[in-house]
Amino acid sequence: MTLMSSSKTPSPPASTLNFSVVLSALVAARVALTLTGLPDVLRDDHQLASPLTSFSQLQEGIYLFNHGVDPYSGGTFRHSPLFLTLFATILPNSPRICSLLWTLCDGLGAWALVQIWRARQNVTSSERDGLIAAVYLFNPYIFLPTLALSTSSLENTLMLILLMFAARGKASPALLGLAFLVHFSLSSIVLLSPILLLLNTDQFSHLASPRPLATSIRKVVPLLGEFVVYFCLLALSSTLVSGGFAWIPQTWGATLMLPDLTPNPGLWWYFFTEIFDHFRPFFLMVFTVHLLIYIVPVCIKFQHDALYATFILLGIVGAFKAYPTLSDPGLFLSMISLFPEIYPYLRHPIVTSLLHLHAFLLLPLFHHLWLNQGTGNANFFYASTLVFACANGAAIIDCLWAGLRIAIGKPVEGYSIVQE
Amino acid sequence: MLANFKISLFFICNLCLLVLANSSEQFDEELSIKSLQDGKVASKFSFKTLLKGASPKDPRTLGTDDESQHYTLFPLGLGQILREYGVTELHLTLNAGNWNYGRWGYPEEKGVGPGAELWVWMGDGAPNSIDHRWKGLRNALAGLFCASLGSLDEQCTTSPVRSFSPEGVLPDWDLPHQIRHASLPSEHVCTENLTPFLKLLPCKSLSGIASLLNPHRLFDADWHGMGIHVLWRGKEGIEVRLTFQSIMDPSRSSSKQKQDWSLQSLFDRAIDRTCPIAHSSLISVSLPSSGAHSITPEPSRVDSGSAIFDVATVPKPFNAAMNWPSDFEYQYDTSLTPLKIQRTLKGSSQARGQLSLVIANHGQVSQQVVYLETMPWLVQFYLHTLKTSVNGAESDAVISNITYIPAIPHSRPTTFEAVLLLPARSTTRLTMDVTKAFLRYTEHPPDAQRGWDLPPAVFTPIHGGQSQNATAGLPSERIYTPALLVDLATPDFSMPYNVIIFSCSLMAFLFGSIFNLLTRRFVVVHVGSGKQE
Repeated sequence: MTLMSSSKTPSPPASTLNFSVVLSALVAARVALTLTGLPDVLRDDHQLASPLTSFSQLQEGIYLFNHGVDPYSGGTFRHSPLFLTLFATILPNSPRICSLLWTLCDGLGAWALVQIWRARQNVTSSERDGLIAAVYLFNPYIFLPTLALSTSSLENTLMLILLMFAARGKASPALLGLAFLVHFSLSSIVLLSPILLLLNTDQFSHLASPRPLATSIRKVVPLLGEFVVYFCLLALSSTLVSGGFAWIPQTWGATLMLPDLTPNPGLWWYFFTEIFDHFRPFFLMVFTVHLLIYIVPVCIKFQHDALYATFILLGIVGAFKAYPTLSDPGLFLSMISLFPEIYPYLRHPIVTSLLHLHAFLLLPLFHHLWLNQGTGNANFFYASTLVFACANGAAIIDCLWAGLRIAIGKPVEGYSIVQE
Repeated sequence: MLANFKISLFFICNLCLLVLANSSEQFDEELSIKSLQDGKVASKFSFKTLLKGASPKDPRTLGTDDESQHYTLFPLGLGQILREYGVTELHLTLNAGNWNYGRWGYPEEKGVGPGAELWVWMGDGAPNSIDHRWKGLRNALAGLFCASLGSLDEQCTTSPVRSFSPEGVLPDWDLPHQIRHASLPSEHVCTENLTPFLKLLPCKSLSGIASLLNPHRLFDADWHGMGIHVLWRGKEGIEVRLTFQSIMDPSRSSSKQKQDWSLQSLFDRAIDRTCPIAHSSLISVSLPSSGAHSITPEPSRVDSGSAIFDVATVPKPFNAAMNWPSDFEYQYDTSLTPLKIQRTLKGSSQARGQLSLVIANHGQVSQQVVYLETMPWLVQFYLHTLKTSVNGAESDAVISNITYIPAIPHSRPTTFEAVLLLPARSTTRLTMDVTKAFLRYTEHPPDAQRGWDLPPAVFTPIHGGQSQNATAGLPSERIYTPALLVDLATPDFSMPYNVIIFSCSLMAFLFGSIFNLLTRRFVVVHVGSGKQE
């Protein structure tokens, strides 16, 4: 849907929208939404909150922490110790105030997205700003997980902020943000190399004029070192806070070993519910390596435009990670609004949009039929996750095609453009 | 000559041993029968063997060769297991049905939880860890009693110290003692468990009170359960108590609404012979406090409201009977226990639910109870949603002293132990949200749609200073709730191959499409002029 709305409006929008007015109006609308009964209904929805990001689990962990029980001694608390201490000490953990906090974070994310757009276009403000903010704030894949208080929404905000710093060339805040992001969600390690690349090149669009990487790859090494230092510091502080290493298998280990088979919109859970036990370790390895295998080719192919490589890899992480929620593909879809130059070259935008619409309607319906109504079985929901994976895959393929095809330019009469 | 001498020496030695053993072992059997207010008849068999002067095996000596064990009355099969694993105290119960506390009162033997329940106290300090010995013990007992006690694995083992304090004495070894407790509510108790039970008795079921243990009648009862209790009575020695409790309904077999019973009508047997080695062999029948009734034959003596027959002296075949001249009238609304407990798992969703507990205290005094939940990891608690209320008003003072050990998927159950303060004449409600686990398809039982049995909650009333002068209606008892059934979401069991194929195909397709785009260059091909002309 987002794809459709954004593809309908090519680069110069008809009406000029004042960005700050749009942003504040949209955030106000979202705050009003949190005051309805909707958040309580959505809180434990499997599509919006995975075991790694669920707010109920976080509250349970905080409760145990405050009552002197180590939350990591059990097997169900999978949030980072940093979240635990943050919410147990500084931040409030009542659902009402948290709804507000989550919505404000989304507003911050939208602002950061607009800043990325401005940095990419090298302008201080543009007519498109309001539209970009709206595409982020009104994307149902983004705002439903926020209503459910899934911590994946906070990860999205963090992602956008670090990307904003990276686009502005501020290496240290970007790397610190990335260290936090990888600490919270291990799959985000995929984004490390395109962001290092982005810090070494510029943020402007070079999609139409590809060129080999100008800078030396050696410059990456100190940045990588900085990232590793931040990352280790975070891990160390987590260990100090939680008083042991028990949090590592509970948080990072869960991403790799998939101990909790709670349904989610991703591809892993049903596969590992049904897999034969003696194949489990092998396929866990295959699924993890599958996520990493895209890094090098995407970074090589888009070495001229590292922001676009980051964008593509975000889509791949959202589609193939271990415990996704709707907000992971949602971020990728909203980021399409940053690249209006590719719209004319999208391969099958209608098909992709319809696939997303199809999946978005089927997922909650079949989930309800299986677990609450009892009239459907697990295959119903599994089938809708397959459709969702098709939709995510189609969106990635569309964007890949358009990002490469744009270099050839407009089709000329009498010539055809094919792949070698 | 020499051979003859050796043989006679051997016999003399054996004789000496037998005499020695006889003086150091004592066997008592007892049957108590009681008519209940709802017309049913409760009976309890108790076979007690005392190994005088013996003490439990010190766990520090477990690695070394044990002294040889010679018993005449004490069950050797059980004795070997107890010494092999260094068990100080053991309680195994195998029950079928739910004990109705309101109508039947507190049972004479506390352990009436549905299914199998095993709890032991063991001293630490052995070369093998306690958990290792616990595993060996339950497998050995599973073999001894033909029960699936092997499934009482780590996934249902807990250590609830407060609810299951030792009933005997723990030896003073300067070693910490630990408890291991597990229950299996889905275990079915049947005649294959009774046969090995009878084999542990010195007279089997050939004579004495044990001859009344007729499986056809016992397993037809409304409620039945057997128990094996081993405990150390300090200087007295080690006691093994084998018990069998049942609740039978005499009106079911008679055409009239009468609660008359006889040993013959209850057990379809009479006692033909006395067990010769029993130190005492008594049948005690509680006499109703009011109303006309008759008991035949004349009891040996009447002691504090019970008629007592000494099986050794009564004429054989012996068949006690009790008759009422009038028809039985059912009495409503008289709860025999002050506490009425209802425990339910609410919610239709297969993803989450709510555990709800309603406790009514009809008593005149406020009551403190220890509440114990040992929940398998299939159902996980959200402790932060715990809400308590008394008579509809929210109250946090109800619950205190919470001990919580969270579950670990695939290995450890949740232990939740707390003290509840139940005001007099009040109804206390307790609710907590729970989530239900999603299992791998190989972890589901063959009848997956039936659901999973969850073990009962256990309530142990505490008797503090204030209840010293209180009524005698609150003995130090343990209350088991009925087991729960949880409905877990099931995957499709017929299509693991399809799922593997679908998921892998989709991933391969997307991988292929993406790599196709990433590895092949775009080129412009001239197709022009020829086509136009």
